Amino acid sequence: MPPTDSLTAMEADAMPDRGLRSSGMRDLGPAEMARFRHIERTFLEAAAAGGYREIRTPTIEPLHLFTAAGTLSPQALDRVYSFLDWDGWSGERVVLRPDATVAVARWYGEQSAGTEQRVAYVQPVYRFAPEGDREVWQCGVELFGAAAATADAELLLLAHDTLSALGIEQVTCDLAHAGLVRAAFAAAGLSATEQLDAYDRMLDGDAGVTADLVATHPRGAAGLRLLSEVDGTTVGYVANLRAAMLPVVPGAAGALDELASAAGALEAAGVPFHVRAGTARSFEYYSGLTFSFSAAGRECVSGGRYDGLAETIGGLAAPGCGWAADILGLAGVLS
Amino acid sequence: MSPAQAPVEARAIRVALPRGDLRAPVAERLRAANFIVQGYGEGSRSYRFEVDGIPGVQVRVFSDGDIPIQVALGHYDFGIASRMWIDELLVRFPHDSIVPLRRLDIEGETLVAAAAPGATLEGLAAGGVMRVATEYPNIAQHYLTRLRVPDYRLYEVWAQAEAWPPEDAELAIAPASAARREGLDILGEVHRGGVWLIANRAALASRDLSAALGPLVSLPGGSEQAGVVVPAPLVGVQRAVPRAGKPREAFRIAVPDGHAQRHTVASLAQAGIAFGGYEEGSAVRHPISGDPEVVVKVMRPQDMPRAVALGHFDLAMTGRDWLRTFTASFPAAPVVELCDLKRSKYRMGAVITEDLPVESIEEAVALWRKDDPDRPIRVASEYASLADEYARSRHLHQYRVIPISGASEGFVPEDAEILIEGTETGSTLRANRLRMIDVIMESTNCVIGAAERPPGRRGELRDRFVERLAAAAEAAES
Repeated sequence: MPPTDSLTAMEADAMPDRGLRSSGMRDLGPAEMARFRHIERTFLEAAAAGGYREIRTPTIEPLHLFTAAGTLSPQALDRVYSFLDWDGWSGERVVLRPDATVAVARWYGEQSAGTEQRVAYVQPVYRFAPEGDREVWQCGVELFGAAAATADAELLLLAHDTLSALGIEQVTCDLAHAGLVRAAFAAAGLSATEQLDAYDRMLDGDAGVTADLVATHPRGAAGLRLLSEVDGTTVGYVANLRAAMLPVVPGAAGALDELASAAGALEAAGVPFHVRAGTARSFEYYSGLTFSFSAAGRECVSGGRYDGLAETIGGLAAPGCGWAADILGLAGVLS
Repeated sequence: MSPAQAPVEARAIRVALPRGDLRAPVAERLRAANFIVQGYGEGSRSYRFEVDGIPGVQVRVFSDGDIPIQVALGHYDFGIASRMWIDELLVRFPHDSIVPLRRLDIEGETLVAAAAPGATLEGLAAGGVMRVATEYPNIAQHYLTRLRVPDYRLYEVWAQAEAWPPEDAELAIAPASAARREGLDILGEVHRGGVWLIANRAALASRDLSAALGPLVSLPGGSEQAGVVVPAPLVGVQRAVPRAGKPREAFRIAVPDGHAQRHTVASLAQAGIAFGGYEEGSAVRHPISGDPEVVVKVMRPQDMPRAVALGHFDLAMTGRDWLRTFTASFPAAPVVELCDLKRSKYRMGAVITEDLPVESIEEAVALWRKDDPDRPIRVASEYASLADEYARSRHLHQYRVIPISGASEGFVPEDAEILIEGTETGSTLRANRLRMIDVIMESTNCVIGAAERPPGRRGELRDRFVERLAAAAEAAES
């Protein structure tokens, strides 16, 4: 059970701001730290039970780790905390870790490339936000070197088990697949540059990208409409998607297989889900299945597959997937 | 950017206008719009003006690059400035409080990406870590990020970024005209310029500024097509591997242009050294040393400590002020003073208004905070890292460093409490009712080099040059 304390999160949040704290930064008082530690312990126990060992990466990383295409989008890079270190006369900028997955993939490339590795972490990421937190404490797991079919299902069930262990009930899962969208872009004849641009638009929340595609490529309209306008709730939806899309987007076959496999694992475990196939999730590095879990109307966990990431940042090619949760977001759901 | 502050002078409408090349065309258009600022267009040395027939409007003259920051801070309600300086602020701080109101019909420079003839962006990005020199680091980062250059290093230079390629950087992001003059190929547009009328968002939202806004918006307008250029991304360029390079054999010396050139030519002459094409009053980019082992390049003295730390030069003749400013930012940089040339003497220190009845900076701070103990102290300077170091060392508590690029004597007392500034005789300070209350350093020109003596022939040449220059400086002083 989560710890109780006389100071509620709401009371703590209402602490007066005297202008002595930087914007977007928050203190965690005793009550919030008790909740934080409870979530952290529960997460690490669930991760350890699945064979995930804890690691920690530095707060400061070189900016160039995040600048190559296939890591963070230009819009995400506009919000990183980058600066010149005290020895930055060479022009090499550094950043406060804006993303844990890229940092952990860098660690994997340096330490364990080529092997199967399960790791867990609890550490903050730093991103500028006009409103809200700019320091976000995350707990997350990454699984490197394992094939999609088994690894995706393992991660989905680990996320669900972690939320259950925390006592978060009535969880729903959203599924999508980055490869499906990209295959649709390629089949529509978009150049590599246009594909990158269209995907960045989707990451930026531009809901009109798929609709634009439907308008300009009527031959694939049925599949694209199914992709963009219908949210599936069973494995049957993925079968429908396959029937509508494959004739015009044959390159989507692999993505549809992975989507069906993940949906099947959730169905078998009795976890309700939505397949929102025509969406893109938050990071440019996602290459395969992407997912999020929500409860009480709030997103608790999000993650996905990023098979090209390790190589993009200078390591050996290795499949990878993972998820992360905002610890204070989970505390909000619990309270 | 710090939150907007309340204007110092209650309710006056404050307008920031540019000096330099923009002064004459802006003054001409203001006059035509019946916004007549007597003395501004004539190049008066004054920093502050009234506007004919419009009481309650105050005009202050700034360097072009300082105007967007002043408007964003809320110190000024309106400003007229080059779009590239506006965007240099806005691409980094998009949530800032500037509203670009309209473009004026005054041409501005286009910023371009330029490199040695024959180079391509794809080739440079794929060939290794791309070194990029620029005066506009925020616009450059915006451009390189969208170009999807996998790995780059930004050299933020004070001026003449176009002088860095090809030997000291692969790419320059610089004004098109300067890049062409330097003989570089233009590989792409980075920013389309123009001159804009801007306003402070909060002031527009809450105060009646119509007395100034009316005539200012009637200034003749230009095309709205301006601002940062979003390039097509380079697709398929993988993360760069280190560029292969062989150790440099030539002994490289950097000598300054601008104000420092006269003193440097004199120091060299005293030591019996002359470089062809580098005389008092004239300089070519690559003067001739007369020795095939020695290569000379002219660049801004402000940028020399970085260039030496990067290993691009064995010797550079700059000022101790610029070395100190650089090491205040990068204390671990491997660059040191090799000898003092004892010319170009001046004091650098903290300057305040002479109207303040105090004997020390501590007394001044106590007076400024008499009614508000948390009042931030504003420290303006062209030497931002020195200003920051000074504010820390004097325990100023809450302070804000305002980086500026000129017209510095006009900042105190209205727009800053303290100015970190250099003075030779103090006469300019006195003319502006200012005084130096705290001396930070005595600056002279000097020779700098790598902290570690270069090996072989380059080390021998360095010893020989330093010995001659030091001996000549000693002899001249005695």
